[in-house]
Amino acid sequence: MEIVVCLKPVPDAETRLRPRADGSRLDPEGVKFVLAGYDESAVEQALLLREAIAGSKVHAVSFGPPRWTEEVLRAAIALGCDTATAVESAGEEAGDPIAAAEGLLGAVEGMPHDLVLLGKQAGDDEEGLVPGALAEMLGMPHFGYVVDLHWDGAAQRLRFGRSAEAGQETWESPLPCVIGLQQAWNDPRTAKLPAILKSRRAPIAKVSPPAPSPERAASVPERFALPPPRTGAKMIAYRTPEEAAQQLVRILKEEAKVFP
Amino acid sequence: MTPNVLIVAEVDSGRLSLPTVEAAGVARSLSGPDGKIVGIAGGAGAAGAAIEFGEYGIERAYAIDDPRLDGAPAQAQTAYIAAAASAVGAHLVLLGGSTAGRDLAGRVAVAWKAAAANGVTELAWAGEALRVQRPVFGGRATEARLLRGGRAVVSLRPHAFPAAAVERTTCAVERAPAASVPPALLAPRRTGVEAVPKGTGPALSDAPIVVSGGRGVRTPENFRLIEELAASLGAAVGASRAVTDAGWRPTSLQVGQTGRSVSPQLYIAVGISGAIQHLVGMMSSRVIVAINNDATASIFRVADYGIVGDLFAIVPALTAEIHRVRGI
Repeated sequence: MEIVVCLKPVPDAETRLRPRADGSRLDPEGVKFVLAGYDESAVEQALLLREAIAGSKVHAVSFGPPRWTEEVLRAAIALGCDTATAVESAGEEAGDPIAAAEGLLGAVEGMPHDLVLLGKQAGDDEEGLVPGALAEMLGMPHFGYVVDLHWDGAAQRLRFGRSAEAGQETWESPLPCVIGLQQAWNDPRTAKLPAILKSRRAPIAKVSPPAPSPERAASVPERFALPPPRTGAKMIAYRTPEEAAQQLVRILKEEAKVFP
Repeated sequence: MTPNVLIVAEVDSGRLSLPTVEAAGVARSLSGPDGKIVGIAGGAGAAGAAIEFGEYGIERAYAIDDPRLDGAPAQAQTAYIAAAASAVGAHLVLLGGSTAGRDLAGRVAVAWKAAAANGVTELAWAGEALRVQRPVFGGRATEARLLRGGRAVVSLRPHAFPAAAVERTTCAVERAPAASVPPALLAPRRTGVEAVPKGTGPALSDAPIVVSGGRGVRTPENFRLIEELAASLGAAVGASRAVTDAGWRPTSLQVGQTGRSVSPQLYIAVGISGAIQHLVGMMSSRVIVAINNDATASIFRVADYGIVGDLFAIVPALTAEIHRVRGI
């Protein structure tokens, strides 16, 4: 099985978020971009499938400025991905997930792909538009919120679970297919030091993104804002637990207006 | 500009789902007196669900008449939705904030050549463009974007908007314009669904109120205090990672970075210290209440209201008071 895993460089969890000078988006200056969250589950899933199906290959693809994608792709190689491809961009597409899907499309189409895996959403914007957009461009079915993915070789079907409002669904789908994975359900492995060192010298293929399609409507970032610092909780003073309970219920009813 | 809006129905047991009704309310507030609002429903029970748009003052809806969609994933409706959006002259295709709605938005945007945003908490017209706002980084920041080009596909964040007010009118249901569904989208099949156990309250990600317990609860037996408080409010039960890691409650209840992100109207954190791991999963809740015996716990920095005290005394008193006030 030829598996493509699409990885978005996201700011390290320790990043101090601040807007760019024009206020329109996150300031990427000095930010360390890493492989994280949902995408780690996607890599783990790809490696599990490769281990289960003889002759499989895992191809990592990432879209963005080279400084951002290199870190992510080297991490993917250190974990065991077979090839790495960077789709180079200036990073100005932030805030337009459809443009990111277009960027990934060119690379995915240029390599064998039975199965395309992604995180169900990115760890930074948490938007979840790319799996569906990429699948529509590829003419493939897709599913987000996926856990517990297996390949049923006898039936030639993927089988997986999906957490939806009604409960835990189970699905089957033939290939090719695009899958957006839920986070952390498969306990992603960590890379070993020799593999990390070796990944520093691994080749990264580079492709240019396609020219944006002119007739498509664009999404443009306008403002990136940090919420006003929370001033801390209003503490409820009380003498007895009963009094605390009465006060809280009164506040929820009259002040916060959230009492059912 | 008189914006036209197409609302994509999600059908839940033959009825419009709550996220769809929230979308209907947003469509009515956005569209203005001259704009058209049209619903569209597909799959099993589509015609009945389409009629139900009339409950919310929407006078026109499409039903997709295609039996192949029954049991197929919602994404098989993509081409129909795009065709209907063009037929209506829509400026906006609005989806509810459900799993299916979030999954559909990117597809519909590509099929209809539109800009898209998921999980939106505010939206307003800015000339021909639609300005959307949404939380990012687990609620640590917000972003505003302009969706340009007169075509936007937007899914809403659950509970960010009130459900549409009931305003009964007659909804004229017509057959949705024809569209060509790629056979590949009809191939996946749902093979089962394990329903959320009944009697345990609403699903965590969908609940308007969530009550979560943490390490401070001390034993799995004590966790029933959290469940009783939740039951008194009709709330969903959540847990911190300490609780699910210890196996006191299943991981499906975990709220946080490695669990579920929730954004209810009211979040009550009991015996939870407020590790960043947990905070990113609940910080975008509208009102946060914390009950903890440690006045220096970080949970009090993000909470709106705090009670410092012994949860084993406070929580039963609170449950009793809620029963008294609600008359149950």
